[in-house]
Amino acid sequence: MPGRMIQLRNSTRGALSRERDVREAYAAHAGELYGFAVRSLGDAGLAEEAVQETFVRAWRAGDRFDPKIGSLRTWLFAILRNVVIDLGRARAVRPRVAEGGVEPSVEPLEDALLAWQVEEAMRRIGTEHRRVLVETYYRGRPYAEVAEELGVPEGTVKSRVYYGLRALRVVLEEMGYED
Amino acid sequence: MKTRRDCREWRELLGAFALGRLQDDERAGLEAHLDGCAECRAELAALQPVARMLPYADPERFESAPQPPAELGQRIAATIEGEKRRQHNRRQRRRFGGIALGGAAAALATAVLLLFVLGGEEASPERQVKFVSQSGEVTIDATLEPHAYGTEIRMYVHGVESGTLCRVALRGPKGVTYPAGTFRYRWGDDSDAVLSSALDLSRTRAVVVHAGRQTFVAPVNPPVAAINPGSVSTGTPSSPAASSLRTKVLY
Repeated sequence: MPGRMIQLRNSTRGALSRERDVREAYAAHAGELYGFAVRSLGDAGLAEEAVQETFVRAWRAGDRFDPKIGSLRTWLFAILRNVVIDLGRARAVRPRVAEGGVEPSVEPLEDALLAWQVEEAMRRIGTEHRRVLVETYYRGRPYAEVAEELGVPEGTVKSRVYYGLRALRVVLEEMGYED
Repeated sequence: MKTRRDCREWRELLGAFALGRLQDDERAGLEAHLDGCAECRAELAALQPVARMLPYADPERFESAPQPPAELGQRIAATIEGEKRRQHNRRQRRRFGGIALGGAAAALATAVLLLFVLGGEEASPERQVKFVSQSGEVTIDATLEPHAYGTEIRMYVHGVESGTLCRVALRGPKGVTYPAGTFRYRWGDDSDAVLSSALDLSRTRAVVVHAGRQTFVAPVNPPVAAINPGSVSTGTPSSPAASSLRTKVLY
């Protein structure tokens, strides 16, 4: 597995047992948590349920949160991960058949987490860097072709691929990624 | 044509190299540079895990992140608020319970009273039992509510003669009956008769009402579709049907 979520730099101090803390935690992290929940559950309604359950569980266990061990964000993600597993199990018990009778494929949770991390990081890097990575890596187009389309030398496309990967690395580290 | 690149120029090729997109000549040149440059090797080592993560992502999702609906935060706050209130109520009950256990007989009496009062705060698992005589003449509604002392019975009777004395009892698992008291039915009186019995609601199998010369028996637990045959109505040939009842258990 190439990466995992671990300690973050901006660790939030204090327990989550007060409602004000929950509100602050929600303001800071709900967007990301929801993004990951949608990514891994593939359903907006279930994702809302998962995020709600995550904050309620976090509030209940607020006294157990220790900022010395890890950041609030990491802790919330760990709770959400368990909630997603629980919801996935509940869904497996009463399977829903998609249109046409084909079961939607369920991505393993770790893969979904990696996918979400990269997607979120891609959203945070510069447009030009993202664009060359999409065109050359995801669409597999030749560097020369992309260079011509963008009106830049081929060397510039290569260097943008490099600075793009670097930017991804920095953003991923901010999000808690470590080798 | 450039034959010698400086370190920065080589480094800018590391992205394409990590993704396997360099032509043979450039790749060979970079590999030679990497052999002699620890800094570039370290930089490559930092990029490789990122390169390995790329295949997991779906480029269709790069443009916009899904946003949680605006009211989700309020919903979470309301859920937590509700749970906090319930916790508070439970704590309060435990506190009063503690006094009762530690205290004398007088304190015990107080505690019973408080349990009674506080017990009402929670959504109580009360049962509603409805009796309708087959002729449709007599209707008896009973609401059974569990308490520490036993069961509270609120009863509303309709269709018997005004002034009829009604005796109420609860029947336990082995057919033992626990008296719950008496009341007198008056025409025009819409209020419930409030009675109580020492039998626990969880052990209550039937509610028995002797109304004048008729007896009505309705099962309480478990919900039964069929009627428990009412005990015989003694000497009222005018309403033989009343002894056979339809019972509905409403939750």
